[in-house]
Amino acid sequence: MADPRAPVVEWSAAEVAGQLRRPQRLFVLDVRNRDEFEAWKVEGREPVPTLNVPYFEILEQGGKDEVVDSVREFFGRGLGGALPRDRTVLAVCAKGGTSDLVALGLRELGYDAVNLAGGMAAWAEHYGALAVVESADLAVYQVSRPARGCLSYLVASAGRALVIDPLRHVERYLELARERGLRIEAVLDTHAHADHISGGPALARAAGAPYLLHPYDGIHPFDVVPGRVAFEYLRDDQELRVGRATARVLHIPGHTLGNSAVVLEGRYLFSGDSIFIASVSRPDLGGRAEAWTPLHHDSLRRLLALPEETLVLPGHYASPAEGDARGCFAASLGRLKRENADLRLVASGRAAFVAHILHSLARVPPEYVEIKRVNAGLVEPDEDKAFELETGKNICGLAHPAA
Amino acid sequence: MEAVKFDLLLDACGLACPMPIVKARAALGGLAPGGVLKVLSTDRGSVKDFQGWAKAARNLELVAQETEHKDGREIYVHYVKRTS
Repeated sequence: MADPRAPVVEWSAAEVAGQLRRPQRLFVLDVRNRDEFEAWKVEGREPVPTLNVPYFEILEQGGKDEVVDSVREFFGRGLGGALPRDRTVLAVCAKGGTSDLVALGLRELGYDAVNLAGGMAAWAEHYGALAVVESADLAVYQVSRPARGCLSYLVASAGRALVIDPLRHVERYLELARERGLRIEAVLDTHAHADHISGGPALARAAGAPYLLHPYDGIHPFDVVPGRVAFEYLRDDQELRVGRATARVLHIPGHTLGNSAVVLEGRYLFSGDSIFIASVSRPDLGGRAEAWTPLHHDSLRRLLALPEETLVLPGHYASPAEGDARGCFAASLGRLKRENADLRLVASGRAAFVAHILHSLARVPPEYVEIKRVNAGLVEPDEDKAFELETGKNICGLAHPAA
Repeated sequence: MEAVKFDLLLDACGLACPMPIVKARAALGGLAPGGVLKVLSTDRGSVKDFQGWAKAARNLELVAQETEHKDGREIYVHYVKRTS
């Protein structure tokens, strides 16, 4: 039994990420309101039993003035259902203050309760990095942001590095490069992102490196005005050199007009937002689904013509279950041709693909239009606003309600 | 918009979750049924939390919510009526 007098144990977001890899003894109690819980939650590759009870319901039904006392009433009388005695109960809220009080109340009831320090705000800023391949000649690191299902990459060869689709907290990439003695020579966005604020321009400035983007994505698709971000033009079939490694750019319009992918050493496909592990990207986030969906089909066909053994490294995932046991999100193109239903749809022809997609489009979050303005340099949000814009998991892939 | 009438003002600016609702519950207890409490908060999360709280509680109604801009920061205003 937990010692109720001991202070609540705080787990950092990184510790939580580690615990989620072996979740057999873990239980999550999330006390945020239901909308926020639906938008994003702490989750790992293996499902973790999770209960969402907003703290104000605990206050009302527990009926005490203070959170700790209400928690004792609420869970002591079993109002919130049974919490497991044989698991660690991780209390989660928006910023970590309320969940700390909840964990304290649970400890007083004898539960082994801990708190996610900093709450979802801290979880949102947690990044993971792991090597897809690592040698002196060629290394690829997948840098993930689990709260949002975003993936980015650092490609390294002979002391030089190229960063692809860096996310907002650019110090993570600078640290990674510093630790490995790498000089960042170029920063590339596969497209103008709608779901998250790009770290591209800021990282390029910090590293003194060029920022590369296809020029079609230098224009905001809704406002139809040029952005104010300085970039060098990425173009189809362009060759990029990183140390001793060579990469080739493929212009694959569809998700955006300037959407591009990068093939490294003929073996690694940084697919950005085109092919994901369990889906393909949406062609409607620019408001021109009728015009862009046929382009999307043709671009996906072009990617499908790459060798079967090409390792696809996508820009997003929808569920952590798409990752392998290490938490790496990668799959051979051959495997995806067989297992990815959206890709099989591509093979059924342009008309069928277009018809299917146009009939199954999901909602476009209104903040995506504003995020594209941020990425075009048209507006500059402060930290609070940036955080708010990036709340919730990405929905850049086609919807799969049953998945 | 016409100003909402209120009987008691609670300034919860600078307080983080859960304090705006904890203090609002206590303040509401001091009001007679029909009385309206105006709550000021700088916590953005309070907007949805007050909506959820109003649904979860049996004796109150969320009359109105608005956002005021003051000295470069946003203040979230909630009007809560005690119904019984």
